[in-house]
Amino acid sequence: MSESANPPDAANPPTEAAAERASLDRKTRRAFQVLILQRGRNPGVKGWEMRRYLGKDYKKILEVLSDDLKPLGLEVHLVPGPEGTDDSTRFLLRFRDSPTLTEAETAGFRIDDLAVLAATIALVNSKQGRISRKELESFLKGKFPRWRIDYSIDRYIKRGYLDVDDKELIRIGWRTRAEIDERSLMTLILAQGTQNKAAGK
Amino acid sequence: MLKDSEAMQQLVAIVKLQDQWIKHRASALYIDPLLLELKIQLITKEELAESFAKCWHPIAQLDQLTPRGLEKAFVYWRELVPFSERFKDQFGNYGQQTGMIGLEELESLSIFTKEEFETRLNAINKELVERSNGKEIDYRDFIMGKDPEETALRGYLIAFVVTEGRATLRTDPLTDQIFISTMQGKPGDETRSVAIAVR
Repeated sequence: MSESANPPDAANPPTEAAAERASLDRKTRRAFQVLILQRGRNPGVKGWEMRRYLGKDYKKILEVLSDDLKPLGLEVHLVPGPEGTDDSTRFLLRFRDSPTLTEAETAGFRIDDLAVLAATIALVNSKQGRISRKELESFLKGKFPRWRIDYSIDRYIKRGYLDVDDKELIRIGWRTRAEIDERSLMTLILAQGTQNKAAGK
Repeated sequence: MLKDSEAMQQLVAIVKLQDQWIKHRASALYIDPLLLELKIQLITKEELAESFAKCWHPIAQLDQLTPRGLEKAFVYWRELVPFSERFKDQFGNYGQQTGMIGLEELESLSIFTKEEFETRLNAINKELVERSNGKEIDYRDFIMGKDPEETALRGYLIAFVVTEGRATLRTDPLTDQIFISTMQGKPGDETRSVAIAVR
């Protein structure tokens, strides 16, 4: 009776699949915990660390996690490392959708601060990824008060959106690479004037 | 040979820069800087901020205190030098407190001898009598010497003249100007101590 209820040949495959599923769930949970808790100075976890925590199939597990996080509006994002290898790639959790301007303001960013950062990122990218602080300040001076420029640049360097190299040149920081779609930003800035013109017509 | 290798090195640097320039121009991020600068100047701050917000995906992360962080904080606190000691290297000690110096001490430091002091006291009193001519004169003008040391010395001597009752000081409450005049007759009972900063 018991044999007919649980035939051994039929019972094995579901158990294996269930075990695999349980293992995947466990690893996905582990990946989420590793990514959400800040462990070093900078957020995110490098590829070699992920391999140590999750095994060699860590990329597949992160893909599953990214899908699982979709309903929560989050995603797993990867930032290529300076060496371009899997080990140096940094994985982090970020918002899938962009916040509205009001939400950004609620998070403590003033419109002027965001505008300074947007203009700086666009300008640095257009100048082959580096610009002297003096040149940047002189450009921004036409649009923003001097005190805000100084304050904002220092703040963004501190937060990792901008970086200063040994020659005192301003560069794009790691956080910009992680949080901002730079290509879209450039396109949107260039499109702003034409959008308004089209709307006016 | 050395010149050739230097020239070759410079050429390599130029080719490297040209390579970077071409790669950048060919990349998706390339936009003519002049065009971009013009655009940024033309659009409003709100439009700039809006463009930024549209392509911004903030990092989601939890900040928490880790055992390692706690240990670092403890070590920092343990090794923190007390505030009174912290800037000693840069600014030295806080210096000697201001205090009183008496005639005996001046004599022991060989700044004055008793005879010399009496002579100088009489000389300054005589000068005061002559210059004031029975009227009030400005105290600061009177003690002013040719250098700060002499001013301090004259201020010190005149303090003794006033203490002995041979001169008197009056402060105008409206202008804070201090006047000195010679004392006519015996000093009264209404005496008080006055501290004057000598600059």
